[in-house]
Amino acid sequence: MSPSWVVEGLETDLDRFHLGPVDLELTPGNAVAVLGPSGAGKTTLLRALGGFLRLRSGRVLRDGVDISDWPPEERGLGYVPQGLGLLPHRTVAGNLRYPMEIRARPDAARRTRELLDRFRLGALAHRYPARLSAGEQQRVAIARALAAEPGLIVWDEPWQGLDVLARYELGLVLHELRETERLPMVVVTHDPALAFSIADSFIVLGAGRVQEQCDAATLLRAPADPFAARFVGFENVFDRSALEPGSAGSFRAWLRDRAGAAGVAFTSPTWPPGPAATPQWEGKIRSARPSPQGLTVEVMVDELPVTLRMPPPVTPPLPALGERVRFGVDPSSVRGLG
Amino acid sequence: MGERVPDLSARDAGGSPSPTRRGWRAGPLWLALQLILSGSLLLLFLVPIVALFTYAPVTDLFSAARNAGVRDALWLTFFSSGIAVLAAVLLGIPMGYLLARRSFRGRAVVESVVALPVVVPHLLVGLGLFLLVIPGTPLNRFTQALGVPVYDTIWGVVLVMVFVSAPYTVLASELAFRAVDDRVLEAARSLGAGSATAFLTVTLPIALRGIVAGLLLTWARAVSEIGGLLVLAYAVYPGGPYNGPVSSTISVYIYNLFQLGDLADAAAVSSLFLLIAFSLFLLVRIGERSGWVPWRRGELSP
Repeated sequence: MSPSWVVEGLETDLDRFHLGPVDLELTPGNAVAVLGPSGAGKTTLLRALGGFLRLRSGRVLRDGVDISDWPPEERGLGYVPQGLGLLPHRTVAGNLRYPMEIRARPDAARRTRELLDRFRLGALAHRYPARLSAGEQQRVAIARALAAEPGLIVWDEPWQGLDVLARYELGLVLHELRETERLPMVVVTHDPALAFSIADSFIVLGAGRVQEQCDAATLLRAPADPFAARFVGFENVFDRSALEPGSAGSFRAWLRDRAGAAGVAFTSPTWPPGPAATPQWEGKIRSARPSPQGLTVEVMVDELPVTLRMPPPVTPPLPALGERVRFGVDPSSVRGLG
Repeated sequence: MGERVPDLSARDAGGSPSPTRRGWRAGPLWLALQLILSGSLLLLFLVPIVALFTYAPVTDLFSAARNAGVRDALWLTFFSSGIAVLAAVLLGIPMGYLLARRSFRGRAVVESVVALPVVVPHLLVGLGLFLLVIPGTPLNRFTQALGVPVYDTIWGVVLVMVFVSAPYTVLASELAFRAVDDRVLEAARSLGAGSATAFLTVTLPIALRGIVAGLLLTWARAVSEIGGLLVLAYAVYPGGPYNGPVSSTISVYIYNLFQLGDLADAAAVSSLFLLIAFSLFLLVRIGERSGWVPWRRGELSP
């Protein structure tokens, strides 16, 4: 049975960067995704959990035992860093055997074979990491983490450097891991698809502080943080400061009335507006580019860039740059942030 | 690769081939220029060596190899350079690690001091050490008390060799330790390796290639030393680990032959020494290429 983990008021410093306080609870089968822009402290949080950084305050509890001062090797926590941290001088089999070798486990050979089979690495057993594809390296990293029989897997950017198919495959592996091993996981990711496929709760970090912490459904429905709003697919996100000043009756003022403390977000209005919508606003087209979801049209309204979407099939007449167009924003689609 | 199941990741497989294998095509002029320039340098390296080998007939080489004096000098050179490399390993690698992993005040000064032996003319080194060991100086009293006299002994040879060659060990191992990815180390820690285990199973093996390259340079620098030896250990009397007859290092030995005007013998002994040193280097390189040696494992083959 995997242990449960509690993080209480964790604060740590790395050079001049301060992280925290972070609170977190993980029960077996739970997965938390850590989101945030670069430099938000995501990796710092993982390294603090792993025991690589001294805590300024707070505690990390494993099944109720305070392990805050334990060294990394005693925490039973599988840390997979960015770049995976495979041992370049050991073969695939050597990497898998490594955690069992240092614990002098007598069944190391048998378990190595099992893991090689389970992760379809048998044919690659004698290859060195430099000779593997990115997807194969990921499988080695996860198999090796499991070889150490961790009570928690902490993974920094699992999908980095993978193509679409390899991502899909690794997503299945991670999902299966959660279902079968009931292993709690903390995953740092920039990828919404991965995050929502395995995580049931989310922490959004910004500049070292927790900006938002909630379950998946809440994040999807009602993100409170601008970064989180973009992450779950709101294409039009404006910080509170971007809405000032706005003269009465302007687009800015209209948004400001609906904004929360952090700002406002809304999904792309359809363009051209349907017969039911009333186009209240007029903007000038700045760019139009095709995407799998149709044509993405960016217009400037009241000096704010607003993204509109022309759903497929995209049919002429296509919008021209500089053209003035009218569109509507459904008031019920606008969400105040914060 | 995993043929049994559709391997979705196999499409980007195959490691990263070297630039030439990527099919980069050099223009013929560019290629010619490269060949001419590299060729000139190779020629410059080879001409004096060919001159040495052609000056002395091969039979002289054999007779040199049978000469007891030459043998003693060769043995003394390899023996003392071996001790010097050992000392460089013991003292230089920890220092390289320190410089790679810690930041401290006065670091720039320490780095400059480490580079000093590379810059200073080696005659000065010998002179400086000589001044310290002339009777009446504190260091002389110290070495006498320890029972390890330095002047004209193997210890003097080793001292000079370590002085001139150990910087290569320090610099090479600093670079090698610096190149070890912290994240690999942290992954190993979280897999259960304590800090000492992680050093022995991760840091050291990964850094070993660079360290070995540095040790080869260290050794090469040690055996080729002459300047400092001319002052501190011109003749080497038996004592300490060396109990052969009075001799000198091969460099001083050849210099003596040259001074006596015995060019043929000087060339023959030089050739013999070159042959041995070159074979040793070649052996290591072949070992590295073929993967017999442990310090090149896991690299992409060139």
